[in-house]
Amino acid sequence: MKTLLEKLIVNYPYFFAMVLFSIGVMTVLTRSNLFKKLLGINIMGSAGYILFIAAGNIRGGTDPILHQSDPGTVYVNPLPSALMLTGIVVSVSVTAFALSLIIRLYKEYGTTDARRIARMRNEVTKSDSSDRG
Amino acid sequence: MIKKLLVLLIVLATAWVGLLAIAELPPYGMPDNPVHNQVSERYINDALEETRAMNMVTAIVLDYRAYDTMFETIVLFTAALAVVITLKTDKKELGDGEEEGGR
Repeated sequence: MKTLLEKLIVNYPYFFAMVLFSIGVMTVLTRSNLFKKLLGINIMGSAGYILFIAAGNIRGGTDPILHQSDPGTVYVNPLPSALMLTGIVVSVSVTAFALSLIIRLYKEYGTTDARRIARMRNEVTKSDSSDRG
Repeated sequence: MIKKLLVLLIVLATAWVGLLAIAELPPYGMPDNPVHNQVSERYINDALEETRAMNMVTAIVLDYRAYDTMFETIVLFTAALAVVITLKTDKKELGDGEEEGGR
């Protein structure tokens, strides 16, 4: 148990990434407001970025931009930063599309609350089936 | 309230599994971690000769993985297109409704 805690303290950026991911999952699962659900998804994405960037870091290393005056510098891994750039673009695209869908839902139902929308849909289907009956 | 507690329990259990995995990861910030393999060595040592870019992230994004960046623009374009379509049909339907209401 103690060794687990020590390992977690050594790997504290990954630990914070896991905490942030859990906060995002909690937000997605417990909030019924669609905007807050989307915020939770974005928080989960940020946790992934932190995990990858932290994995590419080196203690005492400098940013991966060439400093010709000092040939012996240790550079951090540039690959996770480049890959996370791609991830951020995908995340922005998904967020934009989800926001437009939420705007459509709001214009259709007059609310951004997922539970209320589900209740309205249930009422609509019930009235439809009673009309058929 | 009970549902929230249940969700909290499930999330904590998942986070516990994640923390067990994190504890087994190589120690943070050490230069001999398996992440820093020959791939990043090649980027750090040869990026200037091969791409003439001072910034290694720029060299990776715009030269070594240029196809990735190119198709990333397609992702962005598709998202923009989807947003425009989603919001435009709404406006059109609204306009039709107003016309019908006007008649």
